[in-house]
This record gives sequence, structure tokens and C-alpha cells, in this order.
Amino acid sequence: MAKNLKGIEVAEIIPDKCIACQICVGECPVGAIEITSDGVAHVDPAVCIGCGKCAESCPVDAVLFEKKKRKRLTKEQRGMPAEGLPGYQGVAVFIEVADGVGAPVSWELAGKARDLARKLGSKVLGFLLGSGVDDIAREAIAFGCDEVHIIDHPLLKSYLSVTYGKALTDLSEEIHPEILLIGATHLGRDLAGIVATSLRTGLTADCTGLAIEEETRLLLMTRPTFGGNIMATIFCERRRPQMSTVRPKVMKMPDKDLTRQGTIHHHDWSPPEGEIPVVVDFIKKVSETGSVDIVRSPALVVAGKGACDPASLSLLQELAGLVGGVVACSRPVVEAGLLPYERQVGQTGKTVAPKLYIGVGVSGAVQHLVAIQGAEKIIAINRDPNAPIFKVADVGIVGNYLEIVPELIKQLKKRI
Amino acid sequence: MHFVCCIKQVPDTAEVKIDPETNTLVRAGVESISNPYDMVALEEAVRLREKYGGRVTVISMGPPQTDSSLREALSMGADDAILLSDRAFAGADTLATSYTLSKAIERLCREMPVDLVLCGKQAIDGDTAQTGPGVATRLGYTQFTYVVEVEWIKPDLRQIQVRRAIEGGIEVLRGALPALLTVELELARPRRAPLTAMIRSLRAPITTWNAADIDAPAPRLGIKGSPTWVKNISSPPAREGGPRFDVQEGLERAVEQAVDLLFADEDFVSKLKTGWEA
Repeated sequence: MAKNLKGIEVAEIIPDKCIACQICVGECPVGAIEITSDGVAHVDPAVCIGCGKCAESCPVDAVLFEKKKRKRLTKEQRGMPAEGLPGYQGVAVFIEVADGVGAPVSWELAGKARDLARKLGSKVLGFLLGSGVDDIAREAIAFGCDEVHIIDHPLLKSYLSVTYGKALTDLSEEIHPEILLIGATHLGRDLAGIVATSLRTGLTADCTGLAIEEETRLLLMTRPTFGGNIMATIFCERRRPQMSTVRPKVMKMPDKDLTRQGTIHHHDWSPPEGEIPVVVDFIKKVSETGSVDIVRSPALVVAGKGACDPASLSLLQELAGLVGGVVACSRPVVEAGLLPYERQVGQTGKTVAPKLYIGVGVSGAVQHLVAIQGAEKIIAINRDPNAPIFKVADVGIVGNYLEIVPELIKQLKKRI
Repeated sequence: MHFVCCIKQVPDTAEVKIDPETNTLVRAGVESISNPYDMVALEEAVRLREKYGGRVTVISMGPPQTDSSLREALSMGADDAILLSDRAFAGADTLATSYTLSKAIERLCREMPVDLVLCGKQAIDGDTAQTGPGVATRLGYTQFTYVVEVEWIKPDLRQIQVRRAIEGGIEVLRGALPALLTVELELARPRRAPLTAMIRSLRAPITTWNAADIDAPAPRLGIKGSPTWVKNISSPPAREGGPRFDVQEGLERAVEQAVDLLFADEDFVSKLKTGWEA
């Protein structure tokens, strides 16, 4: 513990622990803390008054301050009722409608919401927007909702940010759920930001884990951050609902029980004022033109720099077809113009979690590896025995892919 | 036309990881870069200005060293750069950040009405994709996320038409200005600034605004205005590499050993054989 010239015991930041979240910078009452050019917080000992607020607020215990180190402020001290916020009840799930049916991620969330509601002793609420969606409401009950709240309006026939944003905000303000979960699809992430901003509540993006902290009843939301290198657990104490978008295919799909009972409630709605955008056209993806969704494919054969050759593409496609998947690639292959950007796996491409990943000539740059962490089985084929991808691969084959892939196809054909 | 581009300086996240033994962040040698998605937004803003005329103002919230990203933006063709920097902004989550940015854009509007705000679809450190929609909601601008192409702008009719990448395809959407776009990487390839522009940008003036300059009350800013808090951080479960077989010991044998290992997992094999339906 360091003392400054005035004899005050001052706080110090442990640079290796600091994540530069800047919370302490905002908490420091005397402005003694700055983020340095090294990207870590630094306390100016001449300014520090030794109050310890930085140590209390630091989420990663990076502040060295022991003299008066106190526990985190109690809820009463922070002006919070000890039992959470009164008047907010229920775990709500936004039921996304895709092509006239409930999106699978919504049912996964209904299943997870049941777990959370059981721990809280509350109900699962389905929030459903659309036009003529009663059938989907009944399905929502079968997947775990106790109540389904519907806004049925012709303007909600298809998704628009402004109409759905207002409708989901209106439903939340009327029903006051404690928690609101939304699938982290393009639609869900477009919508969630609007609703959280309108409700002035916290929103945690793209979560992969949800749990209830028993003593506080708070929702603990875990998500990958820093490009998937780090998992952060986030909570929202002061505002309701606690909102989260949740990554598809992470939560378990619940069983559908058509005998489950639940209630369906219709709500009146007034559309937003002002001009509403117009969907001029929708161009469906066609697989023949190379437009495939590599995120949804259960198996991927991924071409890397070492297999960036137009002549070998058909070979990789044959392997992909054999294992029931599609061909994807790493960034250099896109840059070479061999495959389109939508096939790119990596930090600036897509994050994937296939059942089977076969990397062909992929060396395994960090930016690529962070995006395949969720893969169930990884097979790596590379000429360089020291390629980093072998460190994460379940099984590796070292050698020329032009020999290995045909042999692999031959042997797999015998056994599949 | 007045284009405003929001950019963020981020750590090069692929380099950030946790030391498995000490459970602390390893950030030695981690550089700060401009968020790649935001540079695409900036490139598009500059192209739109070249086509429709007007000004491009780039804004960024962050500590003073963020000015290097703003200078990069100036060298790529932005006309003005504004740094939002104040202790009160520190520790902001997406709610407080979008509030701060929207207050800054409101002030810009008083100087020259804003027609279009462009943001990257997300930042590579947080990956939230929430700040853009937050800003659009606060300002009441038409929101277009995941934009892959700006088809046209009709300044006289106050209309814009864009293509968006959504589930299952591309949506062509038309709406009113002012609007906010969040952009995908494929929208544009950021230009390399000419050397003269880079040198000029080093001397260019950068305006700094604090909380008072954007008329923002402290309880809505930074840590105080942020409902979400970080409870803790951890490493994702690490994968362990399995065996590797070298074709130098015989091609057929190496592949066979690999396939044997794969087929040792019966559950996996049954899913593979049924085309992953189970």
C-alpha cells in the first residue's frame, strides 16, 4: 500500500488485471484516475484522497486498496429496495415470427425462461406481435409460456423497426415484466436496442448464459466479449426489465407439450405517428448462386490460405457434400476473390458453431480461431505441423491437402 | 447533405486474452485501432458526400488518445472531427453511450441540420450492435441496420433507399431522412489515405466537447447513466488439441487413424450418418 506526500493511503491499479472499463474513472470523486496510453487505468497519487470508491466499483479487483476496503454498497445505500423493483413480474420472451412460424430461437428462450421463472417463482410470458398469429400463440404455450400477450395489427404483418419497436415497448410498459429475452437474430438485435432505449433500461447483447443470482433475484447474463476471447457476466440492478438478446442454438430446445395450458390476451395498439418505411423488395437467398448460410450449416469444410486454389474448390465441395455441409473459408480466401464475404469465418466474418468443422489449409490465426470455438469437432488438415489450428483441433492430419482430401473422401465414403 | 459518422477506438481484440494461470488480462502489445466496421461507415459517408455534396462530420467518444482515430478519419476525407471527452462519460454502457452521442448530434444539428448518421454495425471489442439503434431511437431517426448498399438518396424528397442483410436474404427498404445506418463490412472498402492527407490531418484542429458542451446532465452519463454492470470476467473454456497424424508415415494410414478417432464417438457418428437430423 502506497502513501502519498500528504500521508494518505492511496489506491493503486494492478495493470495486468485492469480491463480498462473506465468505471473507476467515472467513480473517482476527485478525478485522480486516467486511462493511460498503455490502455490501463492509473491513479495519480498526488490527487487521490484514499476514499476507496475505485476499489469498490472495480469489477475485476484490479485496485490495490486495503485500508478501508468495504464491500459493495448495499441496495439500501444505493437507494434500491432490497426485494428488487416492485411491480415488475414475470419472465417475458419475445416470440419472433419468421415466414409465418415461430422462430426456433424463441422456443429455446421459452424453455430457458421456464428455468428462470421457476427460480423466481413467477410466470413465463410470451410477447407476440403480428397479424393473424393466434396459432403461434398456442404453440408458444406448448413450448412453455403461461400467458401469451398479443398485439395483432395489419401494420405488424412484417417486421419494421419503428412499428415493432413501439409495439414491444408498449407491451412491456403495460405488463411490466421483470425480465425480457429476445433472440439475438438480425431482427432481434435491431429490435432490442430500440426497446431498451425507449424503456431506458439495460440491455446485454448476444448472451450465451443466463442464470438467477439467488440472494438478489438478479439476472446474471454471460456473454463473450473482446471478440470471444473473454466471457463477461453482466447484471442490471437499477432498471427493469432486465433485457438480454440471446444467441440462437445455445439454449436447449424444450419439448413441445400440446397439453400444456395457458392463456392468450389481445392488446389494443395505436401505431407510431409519422412516416413509416416501405419494404420495396425482398431478395431471397438462392443456394445455387453461392448464397448459403454458413452459420446454420451443421458441417463446414473451410478453405484457408493454403487451399486457396479455384481448381481444388470442387474437391472441397465433394467433401462438404459427403459430410452434409457446405464450403466456407478464411479471410485470405475472400481477399483473393475465390469465395464471397458471406462465406468468411472469423472475427470480421461469421462466428460459427457447426457439429463438424474441417479446416483445409487453415493455419488458424487468432481472429479465425475465436470464431470457431463453439464447433463440436474440429479436424485440421495442414502442411505445417506447427500451424496453430492443431492446438484446438480434435484431430489433425499433417500433409498436402491435395493428397489428404481425396483419401479422406474415399475412406469416409466407405464408412458413412 | 450533412453526414455524421460515429466511430470508436478499440483494442485490437484478437490480441486480448486472459492468462490462464493468473486469470488476469494479458494486454501487453495490444494496439488501439479504429473499429473496422466504423471505417466502412466513414468510407461510405465520404463517398456519399462526393456524390451528393455537403459535409462529413466524424464524432467519437473516448479518452484524449482517441484523437488518433479522428485524425485517421480526417485523412480519409472527413471534414470535421469532434472528440467527446469528459470524465463524466467514462464507464458508459450502450444506453449511456447512445445518450451521449445523441446529445452531440443534437448540438451538431443546431449548427447544420443532420441528414444521415452512419455507424459500424458493431464494435469488435463489445460486439453489442446496440449503440446505433439507441442513437436512432433517441433522435427519432429512421433506423436501417445491417446495410450492405445505399441505393440512392433523394435529398429534395427527403428519402433514402438501402439494401439490408437480414435472415434469409436481402431487404430493400425505403424511408425518410433524417436516418441512421449501421453498416456491414461488405458495403465499402475503406480507402488508403494519401500521404499528404495523413500529414495534413496531424495538424488539423479537433474540437473537444465535454458534458456541458452537449448540455448533458451527469446522471445520464458514464457509469452513473449505465444500468448494466460487469460482475466478473473469465476465460472461455479452452479447447485442447488432439493427436495429429503425419502423411509421412503413410497417407492411407494417417487418414485412417484420423477417421478412426472421429468414429470412436458413436453419438457423433450417428448424427453424421443421419445427416445431422437427430
